Amino acid sequence: MSTGAAAIEVRGLAHRYHGAEGALQALDRIDLSVADGEFVSLVGPSGCGKTTLLRAIGGLLRVETGEVQVLGVDPEEAQQRRLFGLVSQEPGLLPWRSVEANVRLPLEVTGAAADVRALLTRVGIGEFARYAPRQLSGGMRQRVALARALVHGPRVLLMDEPFGALDELSREAMRLELLRLWESERITVLFVTHSIREAVLLSDRVVVMAPRPGRILDDLRVPLPRPRTDALEETPEFAALVTRIRAVLREAQ
Amino acid sequence: MRRGRLSGLAAGALPPAVFVLVLFVAWDLYVRWRDVKAYLLSPPVEVFRALATDPGRFADAAAESLTAALGGLLIASVVAFGLAVVMAHSRTLERALYPPALLVKVTPIVAIYPLLAIWFGFGIGPKVAIAALITFFPMLVNAVVGLRSIDPQAHDFMRVLHASRWQVFWRLRLPSSLPYVFAALRISVPLSLVGAVVAEFLSGSSGMGQLILIANGDFDTAGLFGAALVLAAMGVSLTAAVSYVEGRVLTWHDSSGG
Repeated sequence: MSTGAAAIEVRGLAHRYHGAEGALQALDRIDLSVADGEFVSLVGPSGCGKTTLLRAIGGLLRVETGEVQVLGVDPEEAQQRRLFGLVSQEPGLLPWRSVEANVRLPLEVTGAAADVRALLTRVGIGEFARYAPRQLSGGMRQRVALARALVHGPRVLLMDEPFGALDELSREAMRLELLRLWESERITVLFVTHSIREAVLLSDRVVVMAPRPGRILDDLRVPLPRPRTDALEETPEFAALVTRIRAVLREAQ
Repeated sequence: MRRGRLSGLAAGALPPAVFVLVLFVAWDLYVRWRDVKAYLLSPPVEVFRALATDPGRFADAAAESLTAALGGLLIASVVAFGLAVVMAHSRTLERALYPPALLVKVTPIVAIYPLLAIWFGFGIGPKVAIAALITFFPMLVNAVVGLRSIDPQAHDFMRVLHASRWQVFWRLRLPSSLPYVFAALRISVPLSLVGAVVAEFLSGSSGMGQLILIANGDFDTAGLFGAALVLAAMGVSLTAAVSYVEGRVLTWHDSSGG
């Protein structure tokens, strides 16, 4: 693996879904490069292909044309090297396992070793190790999902609307939690969301996408200082970025 | 929580128990009042006397039927689940195997009893075979659905970790299928008794089926009622046993614990 290789490199990616009403161009001519340790968000309305793109990068979807490389290898190879962590909109925990056993799952699958208890404490659910997932709130479950995605030491964290199903207060808490974790881990994060504010608050770069066909409209750098807190949302720089992204999206309609 | 569950059980068992008691009393009063002939309708007291005079006869017959029923159920469940694992992993194999399985379901098993008797003799063999055939399909269908009912997000998570099919099976598919397996058992446990008794009717060789045939020939109405009561008790206990194990195993599932 060459040092300095991009964490994620997408070239000329196109993909169609074949349904009863013919083919749907989910993605068209996508080029994207994410540097190692970078936090990049994909924003856009439903149907813009942001989830499809994330799934293609994670090797969950075989694309028709184009190339995807993750740290210099194809997604399949990246899966084998255990480079990925995944957090989806629904936590997808195993209900018959305790919180701790859920977080241990990646260690069982990959054979890696880690201090599960310490990680649980870091994401703020240390005292719930023995609880069943159904005893926890939505926000707590998503913390478990986050711990589970990180426990085996992935290099690329894929997050598909991870806070989309949470209430507003839990969302805000989880954003700050994620920022805190990421600022200490500095792994690459690809973050799919339909919230512009969430994307701006979290990311180094915001990739704006549009549907029919799914394509990239703009790729904006977020020059806001880190570490970031929610106080940032009140600043004019923040507001200006949000306004600009809204304008890009409106123009495309 | 345990206390709540027990008192819940009592609350659940009390109304039907009272109802059955009222039924027995009404039955007894009716027989006495209208002076119904004993060969038409025996009073409950006679039924219990029939059971009490020779409990060994009922117990032996019940044990024979139960062995055949549970033997058939066990074989069918294991084979059906194994087949379901194969079918859940391959749509092609599912398409190949489903029609023959459906054929087994829709064929009236009484029709193939003579064949089974030729193949398996007149002992316990054909009884086990009938109990197995009658319970096979519910397990197969439920297990296929259960093995497919995995949480897609949990599956995605395991896929990005490059989990093997084997790991996905043990850690995700098998536990996900258990609620469906127990649902199948709740259907097939009483069915297995039906299968065993039907086979005993046809062969007349042993078990509760034979006991009923003999009681019928003797105009022993009390014995017939007794046999029906014993079979009902067997069905209820087996179903309760399944529910008990289910409650113990599926503590994580919404359907468990009532």
